[in-house]
Amino acid sequence: MKSLILLAALASVVLASSYDKKGVAAATDKLYVKECGACHFAYQPGLLPSNAWQKMMSNLENHFGSDASLAKEDFDSISKYLNKNSAEKFMNYKRSARIVNSLRVGEVADSISKTPYMIEKHKDIREDFIIQEEVKGIFNCTACHTTAQKGIYSEKDILIPNFGRWED
Amino acid sequence: MKLIFALFLFLTISSASVVDEYLNTLTKEAKIENPSFSGFDLKRGEEIFTSKHIGKKGKEVSCVSCHGEDFSKTSKNFFTAKEIEPLSPKANPKRFSEVKTIEKWLRRNFNDVYNREGTTQEKGDVVTYIINK
Ligand code: HEC
Ligand code: HEC
Ligand code: HEC
Repeated sequence: MKSLILLAALASVVLASSYDKKGVAAATDKLYVKECGACHFAYQPGLLPSNAWQKMMSNLENHFGSDASLAKEDFDSISKYLNKNSAEKFMNYKRSARIVNSLRVGEVADSISKTPYMIEKHKDIREDFIIQEEVKGIFNCTACHTTAQKGIYSEKDILIPNFGRWED
Repeated sequence: MKLIFALFLFLTISSASVVDEYLNTLTKEAKIENPSFSGFDLKRGEEIFTSKHIGKKGKEVSCVSCHGEDFSKTSKNFFTAKEIEPLSPKANPKRFSEVKTIEKWLRRNFNDVYNREGTTQEKGDVVTYIINK
């Protein structure tokens, strides 16, 4: 009995000081994955807060210099999905929480890779690994993070093209 | 076996009819827009597909930049490096199977390459080129 109480106490300490979930929640909506995964992999909604998704969705005709516009019914459905699953609503996921907490109050992010948390995490990577043909930019998460599709971005799962595993 | 064959036949026919019907609609529109309209032309379609232009991103691109020269092979997106499945409906039965999808990509891709939407004539020419190549 005593050890059970001890265990419970320990568990609550662990829970309070960390996130109960690693990574970021997987993208599950079929329409979202099809439409927003046509030109790059479908970024998990938990990688940005809802105000950033709204800003991005409001200008799909000029989406990073490309036309990604949608039919009205698809636009509405995808906007709703992003808003329901955005980072600030999933703070129990480590990456969502880190991204949200790195933004200044009132700051609306233009992309995932330009959030302070992402800039900090990627600042030590050699430029030529990033701009090479197989990667093209930090936006291309799946090029280096082999488990990005599942929402897992751990260091042990990184494999940079023409370089190899990442070790500190 | 017979059933599978019949189903296959049905699917090929029905997908062929989507693009035929799309071209018919474009033909009707083109006749209204231009009384001297004389049909869609594969050669003009080829020119539209292969010629380079300063696109929406300010870079020189053509349709080939993303779809490659061999429509029966997968290609790579010029901007994102993501694989694009073959454009030819002969190699990829999902192509030209839904008018909404055809229209969506023609609208986006003309904007990307030409910085404007394609005209009815241009869309008909380029689709004629792709499905016959
Ligand atoms: C027509 C192609 C296309 C479609 C469709 C598309 N995107 Fe993009 N997206 C791009 C390009 C190109 C970039 C910029 C890549 C770069 O930085 O060079 C981009 C970048 C992004 C980024 C920023 C990645 C980073 O660096 O943090 C996000 C987020 C994003 N897209 C979300 C979406 C969502 C959500 C949808 C669906 C509504 C969508 N995209 C549909 C082409 C597309
Ligand atoms: C050029 C390859 C590359 C690309 C592209 C890339 N990353 Fe990374 N990422 C890395 C490397 C290398 C590290 C480890 C950096 C370090 O520890 O010094 C890292 C670290 C991270 C971490 C922290 C991991 C940890 O355990 O601390 C996260 C989260 C992450 N990346 C997410 C992303 C997301 C999301 C994208 C796409 C928007 C992305 N990365 C694109 C290479 C890449
Ligand atoms: C920046 C890259 C890019 C360029 C440039 C580009 N496309 Fe595309 N195109 C795509 C992508 C991505 C798809 C969707 C791929 C998929 O469905 O898997 C697509 C799909 C299509 C489709 C398919 C419709 C269907 O039924 O599946 C057609 C037709 C098409 N493009 C025509 C063109 C034409 C014509 C041009 C030149 C005016 C062009 N593309 C230029 C990226 C591009």
